[in-house]
Amino acid sequence: MNDMRIVKRDVEMNDIKISAKDVQVYYGDTHAIKDVNVEIKDKTVTAFIGPSGCGKSTFLRCLNRMNDTIDICRVSGEIKIEGEDIYDKRVDPVQLRAKVGMVFQKPNPFPKSIYDNIAYGPRIHGLARSKADLDDIVEKSLRRGAIWDEVKDRLHAPGTGLSGGQQQRLCIARAVATEPEVLLMDEPCSALDPIATAQVEELIDELRENFSVVIVTHSMQQAARVSQKTAFFHLGNLVEYGETAQIFTNPEDPRTESYITGRIG
Amino acid sequence: MNNDKHIATAFDRDLEAIQALIMKMGGMVEANITAAAQALEDRDVETAAKVRAADKAIDALEEQINEEAARVIALRSPAAGDLRTVLTVMKISGNLERCGDYAKNLAKRTGVLAELAPIDGAGASIRRMARAVEEMLKLALDAYIQRDADLAEQVRQRDLDVDQMYNALFREFLTYMMEDPRNISACMHLHFIAKNIERMGDHATSIAEQVIYLVTGELPDESRPKGDMTSHTDLGLEPS
Repeated sequence: MNDMRIVKRDVEMNDIKISAKDVQVYYGDTHAIKDVNVEIKDKTVTAFIGPSGCGKSTFLRCLNRMNDTIDICRVSGEIKIEGEDIYDKRVDPVQLRAKVGMVFQKPNPFPKSIYDNIAYGPRIHGLARSKADLDDIVEKSLRRGAIWDEVKDRLHAPGTGLSGGQQQRLCIARAVATEPEVLLMDEPCSALDPIATAQVEELIDELRENFSVVIVTHSMQQAARVSQKTAFFHLGNLVEYGETAQIFTNPEDPRTESYITGRIG
Repeated sequence: MNNDKHIATAFDRDLEAIQALIMKMGGMVEANITAAAQALEDRDVETAAKVRAADKAIDALEEQINEEAARVIALRSPAAGDLRTVLTVMKISGNLERCGDYAKNLAKRTGVLAELAPIDGAGASIRRMARAVEEMLKLALDAYIQRDADLAEQVRQRDLDVDQMYNALFREFLTYMMEDPRNISACMHLHFIAKNIERMGDHATSIAEQVIYLVTGELPDESRPKGDMTSHTDLGLEPS
């Protein structure tokens, strides 16, 4: 199937951004991710779907080593971003997370001003040489987060004073401020109303110009709307991975079909 | 395709309801084709009038099916096999509606033909051709409800027979017209009827192709056998 959205950018998006081989994740004795192999393309939105507990968030969290923070969690296999093994001993997880940004389910702005929310990352990573530099980064990030016009007159007001949808876009702006290569989103719209959701989805589509976006969502409709590639997880297995339009019109695996059509599978 | 029940049972009911409407519509169209062809052979103007009246109900059903399909799309966002079910329902209802129109046209022409001198054997030939098409429609709808792509493929192949019947009639009518210009009026009407029945065969084929799409997710790609040669036919006969 030809997804016109993919064809349009075919020239620049044939690159593989993330490649995972034989990834296994254990929480203690629980085998949470089984033998996952996947290649995620650059400048593409990839959606992870599947029922609760299927491992989609766990796998997402492997991509920026967020699972390192959980003591009983063990990850094996190989995950490369741009050919570089992110589980290599020499990789600093903090640097990695600057390169692989993350947005969470609930908007979690720092209890600081809007300006400082954005400036925090670039400051600690030393991305700005001067105040003017930092101002530029803040403006550019807020524009990329599609929230600049709404906050430009109150940059020093607290970020927590914004509406839920605005807070989430602020968090996305914060995530892109460190110029990441990959943006991970774990159900970024589940706490938002439909209008705010549409704004965030529109934003995701714009972010695709510059980033590889991976989004975990419980909303099949959202996966269908925003992604070009979809991966369906079930019981820790990656059951099917393909073009979104194909997954939603003619999935190959009966388990995928059961799930996306709302049947007991 | 996956035929397990949905978690939302109302979704199953909606899908079953629109498919039941398609089967009902199919039954009405089949009955109308048979009745129209029989009326033509029997020069039975009364039955022909009934066929024309019955077409209104077929048109109304098509409208109802499209409304129901639109409602399912709006309310349930069907995906995968469910989506293909709704899409094919809409296309098939369109195909059936066209077949109904052709049957109605056949009935209309029956009124004129009953006033004209009969053409030997034409009524029976038309009825046989209509019978073949009605059979194709029936099998195509059976294939649809049974999700049987093999049966649908057989229906596609059958269209060749209908095309050949049409070729034969086309030549026959031309010959009658050459023989006696007084046959022209009747033969022109009969030819339109034969052509319309041939088109019904194409619609039945299209339904069969929708069944293949519904079951496999892909339309059959190789071009189906085509037997209608009349576009290239010149009998080489000049009126004496």
